[in-house]
Amino acid sequence: MARDPKYDILFEPIQLGPKTLKNRFYQVPHCIGAGSEKPGMQAYHRGIKAEGGWGACCTEYCSIHPESDDTSRVSARIWDEGDVRNLKAMTDRLHHFGALAGIELWYGGPHAPCMESRATPRGPSQIPSDFELNIHPRYMDKDDINEVQQMYVDAALRARDAGFDIVYVYGAHAYLPFQFLSPFYNRRTDEYGGSFENRARFWKESLEKVREAVGDDCAIASRFAVDHLLGATSIQVGEDGVRFVEYVDDLVDLWDLTVGDIAEWGQNAGPSRFFEENHEKPFTGQVKAGNHTNKPVVGVGRVTNPDTMVAIIQSGQFDIIGAARPSISDPFLPKKIEEGRPEDIRECIGCNQCISRWEIGGPPMVCTQNATAGEEYRRGWHPENYSKAGNADKGVLVVGAGPAGMECAMVLGKRQMSAVHLVETDSDIGGCVNWISKLGHSDGKENLFRGTARGLGEWARIVNYRQVQLHKLKNVEVHLNSRLSAADVLEYGAEIVVIATGCHFATDGLNAATHAPIPGADTSLDWQLTPDEVVLGDKQIGQRVLVLENEGYYMGATIAQKLAGEGKDVTLVTQAADVAGYMHYTLEAPMLHRDLHRLNVDIRTYTMVDSIEPGAVSLYNVWDDRHKDKVEVDSVVLCTQRLSNDSLYRELKADPAALEREGIEAVYLIGDAQAPRMIVDSVFDGHRLAREIDSPNPAMPLPFIRERRLWGDTGNGDFESQLLAPSDMVTA
Amino acid sequence: MKVVVPVKQVAVVDEDFELADDGTAVDPDFLEWSLNEWDEFSVEAALQLAGDDGEVVVVTVGDDEATEGLLTCLAKGAGRGIRVWEQSLTSADALAVARVLAAVVERESPDLVLCGVQSSDAVNSATGIGLAGFLDLPHVAVARAISGGEGSLTVERELEGGLVEVVRIGLPALLTVQTGINEPRYANLRAIKQAREKPLEVLDLAGLGLSGDDVAGASGGRLRKLAVPEAGEGAEMLTGSAAEVATRIREIVQDRLSA
Repeated sequence: MARDPKYDILFEPIQLGPKTLKNRFYQVPHCIGAGSEKPGMQAYHRGIKAEGGWGACCTEYCSIHPESDDTSRVSARIWDEGDVRNLKAMTDRLHHFGALAGIELWYGGPHAPCMESRATPRGPSQIPSDFELNIHPRYMDKDDINEVQQMYVDAALRARDAGFDIVYVYGAHAYLPFQFLSPFYNRRTDEYGGSFENRARFWKESLEKVREAVGDDCAIASRFAVDHLLGATSIQVGEDGVRFVEYVDDLVDLWDLTVGDIAEWGQNAGPSRFFEENHEKPFTGQVKAGNHTNKPVVGVGRVTNPDTMVAIIQSGQFDIIGAARPSISDPFLPKKIEEGRPEDIRECIGCNQCISRWEIGGPPMVCTQNATAGEEYRRGWHPENYSKAGNADKGVLVVGAGPAGMECAMVLGKRQMSAVHLVETDSDIGGCVNWISKLGHSDGKENLFRGTARGLGEWARIVNYRQVQLHKLKNVEVHLNSRLSAADVLEYGAEIVVIATGCHFATDGLNAATHAPIPGADTSLDWQLTPDEVVLGDKQIGQRVLVLENEGYYMGATIAQKLAGEGKDVTLVTQAADVAGYMHYTLEAPMLHRDLHRLNVDIRTYTMVDSIEPGAVSLYNVWDDRHKDKVEVDSVVLCTQRLSNDSLYRELKADPAALEREGIEAVYLIGDAQAPRMIVDSVFDGHRLAREIDSPNPAMPLPFIRERRLWGDTGNGDFESQLLAPSDMVTA
Repeated sequence: MKVVVPVKQVAVVDEDFELADDGTAVDPDFLEWSLNEWDEFSVEAALQLAGDDGEVVVVTVGDDEATEGLLTCLAKGAGRGIRVWEQSLTSADALAVARVLAAVVERESPDLVLCGVQSSDAVNSATGIGLAGFLDLPHVAVARAISGGEGSLTVERELEGGLVEVVRIGLPALLTVQTGINEPRYANLRAIKQAREKPLEVLDLAGLGLSGDDVAGASGGRLRKLAVPEAGEGAEMLTGSAAEVATRIREIVQDRLSA
C-alpha cells in the first residue's frame, strides 16, 4: 500500500552542507556496545536501520584519542588506521542502502576515566567529574588546547577516510566543548573563560579547524545541549543556549539539539514513566521557533508516532526527526510509514533497557520490543525477515500469552509453521504486562516533563504490537479464557509444545537476601500483599504500609511510589545499598528518588526484615544484625523473589511415554516459567526459541559469532567472508 | 436432538478496497474469508443442545472457499457437513439461499434449525427467517438464551430498548441466534486435523431435486450496483499530533455545549 500523503513531508530530502539527506529520518548517535572493537555488530546494527529507511545513521560517541577513554563503557574510537578499517565496515553498509553515515567525535574531559588507556584527561578547569567517581582533569594551558584541537582535526581526517559523511564536534552531555562553554565547569580567567565569547572560544575554534580540514567533503554537525537544566549555574536556553547557536551557526551544517548532561542524561533519554513523547520541545524547540539558526535542526524526544513527526516539522520545531530508542525498537519505522502500514510500527516503550547495558559497561545493547537489536550480526537475526522453518509442517501449542509466549507464537507464525495455537488462561493476552502497565499514579503534582502522570502505561505497547501482528498471521490462532491441564496438552494434537506459563511472587517472603522465608510473612492474610495484588486492588490497604524491596529493579520502589502518591505513609526497605539499584542503569533513578523524597517515603537501605507480626515489622541492619528497629504498620507488601509456574511443564516431562504416545516430539520451557527475569529477557527467550525451532536442539541456544581476536591468527574471516561482501549487498 | 446449522463463509473487506469492474462486488483481491461471527454462536448452541447422543449437521451454500468454514465447524464437534454449490448460485440473494437450504433441511428433517441472526458481510438478517417461511416452521428471531429440551424450547429473544421476550416454542422449529448467547468453543489441533476425516457432502441443485428456476423464483431482488458513498459536507478532518487532535475535539465539544 502507498504511504498516506499526509506523511509525504517526512520523505523530503534535506541538504546538509555538501551532503543530501534523502529524507527526514535520522538516527542520532547512540551507544550499542559495539564501538570499533565489534565491527560486525556496528555495521549490521546501523545497516539494518539504513535498510529500514533511515536517511542517516551515526556511530555512538567516538573517542578521538586515548585521553578520552570511557572504559568500561563502550564507545567507538578513531585513534588509528585500525579503527578506520573497522568503522569503514559500517559506512560501507550504510552507503549500500543509501543512507549517510555520521560520526560523533568525542573528547570527554573529566567524564572519561581512562581506565584502559591510563591516560590523563584534560579539562578547562581542575574540577572533578560530577559523573565519574574521583576523576580530576589536568588543567589545559594554551598548548594543551592546541593539542586537543589537533586531536579533533586528526580524528576528522580519519573519519573522512573511513567514509563518514557527517562529522560531529560533540558538545552535548557536558563533554569537553560544553565544559568550556559552561561556567559550571569553566572557571578560567584567560581568553577561554569568563565572557560568553571567551567560553565559546574553544568550541568555535575546534569547529573552525575541523571545518577547515574536512568541511568540503563532509557535513559538519554539532550536538549541543541548549539547556543544562541547572538554572543560572550553567547554560540556559534563553540565554547562552540560543546565543551560542547564533554565534557559531556559520560553522555547522547541522544542529543536533538536546538538553541536560551526562550525569543525569535520563533527562535527555527520558524513561516513559516520567517523560512523554517529544518532552524536550520546551527547550530545543526554542532554537528554530526564535529564528536563531539558518541551518537544519535535528532533535529527539522518543517520537514513535508519525503524526507527531509531521506536527514537529510543520510547527517548525525541527527540520529532521531524530531518534535513538525508536530506531532501536523499530529499525524499519520509516519504511513502515512509507509502505502505508504504520500499525506495524514496533513502538519504543521507554523502559531504557537498551541504555542499561551501556551503563553497566560492556554487554551488547538489548531491546524489550525488538529482540533482534544487537543480534543482527552475531546471530544473523533480521527484525522483519523470517525464514520458513525446516520443520514448518509441525503444529505448535504455546501455553501462556505473556511476553515470552506472545513473542514465541508471533515468530513461529512468521516462520510459517503450519499451525500455531497460543492458549491463554486470562481473558486478554499480555500476561504480567497487563497489570504491570497499570502501575503508576497521578497525584496532581507537576513533574518537569510529564505533566502530572507517572507510570508504566506505555509498557502496554509490548502487548499492542504483538496483538496486531498475531491477528495478521493466518496460521496463528489465539484462544483466551482457556486453562489447559496436562491431559488437555497431551490430547491437543500438537507436535511441539511450548510452556510459557509465567511466574508468581513468593507468598512467604522467600528472598534473595536470606534464601529463606520470613517468619510471619503470609500473603494469604488480608493485610499482606504481593505486588500484583496491590494493582488488582482486591485487598484493602491500610494507612501505614511497609514495602520490602528485595528485587533490585523497579517493582518495590514503584509500589512504594504508587501507594505514597495515593496518600499512604510508606516505609521502603531494601537489603541493598539503594532501592531499585538497576534503575540507575535505566536512568530512572534520579526522577524516582525525587518523587519518593517528595512523597515522604521513609527509605531504609542495608536493612532486612527479621519478622512480621500483626501491626508491626521487625528490621535489622544487614552489616550488624544487633542493630534492630521495629516499624508499626497496617499493611505489608512483599516484593521478594519470584517462582516459576512450571508445574505443567514438570507434569508433562514426568511422563515421556504419554508424550510419545500422543505424538508430542518436544516440550520447551521459556520466559519466567523457566526462570523469572526481566521482560526484555522473556521476549528474547521466546524469540530465540522460535528462531531456532528447527535447530538440532532448540532447547539449547546456538552459538553466536564472537568478535574476538584469535591469538596468532592474522586473518579476518568475519570481515572477508561476511562484511566485505554479504550476499544481500551484491548489486547487479 | 438433531440440529441443522446453516453457516456462511463471509467476506472480510480490507480497510482500503476497490470494486470489481462490473460494479456489483468488491474486488476479490481485497477480501479475506472467515466463518460468520454469528455462526460461531449458533454452532456452539447446537453442540450444547444436541448433546452426546444427538447430531449436528452444518450446511452452507458457497464455493470452495466455504469448505474452510465447514471444516471449522466440524473441528468444533459437528458430525457432518453439506456444501451446496453450482455456478448459477453466484449471485443468489438471501431468499434464494434460503430456498436452497430449505431443500437440505427437508432432506435432513431435524428437530431444530439454528441460524445466525445475520451475516456480517451482507447483513440482510433474512436467510434464517426466509428459511422458516419456506419450511413453514415456527420460528424465533434474535435468541439470546435457549433452554428446555424434548418437544419444546424456552427462548429469550432480544427486543429493542433492552426488552426481553420469553417465548415457548414447539419442535421442530427454527431460531436465529444472537452473539454472546454462549462462549463458543475452539478446536484443538487434533480436532482440526480429524475434521478432514469427517463426512463432507458436496451437492449441486439437481442433487437436491431443485431446478435453477426454483431458486430464481424465490429470489427477492437483484443487485445492480455497489458504490462508495461520497464524502458529505460538514465534516472536519482533524489532523496533527494526538495532543493537537485532542485539543481540537475539546474545543468542538465545548463549542457545542455552550451553543
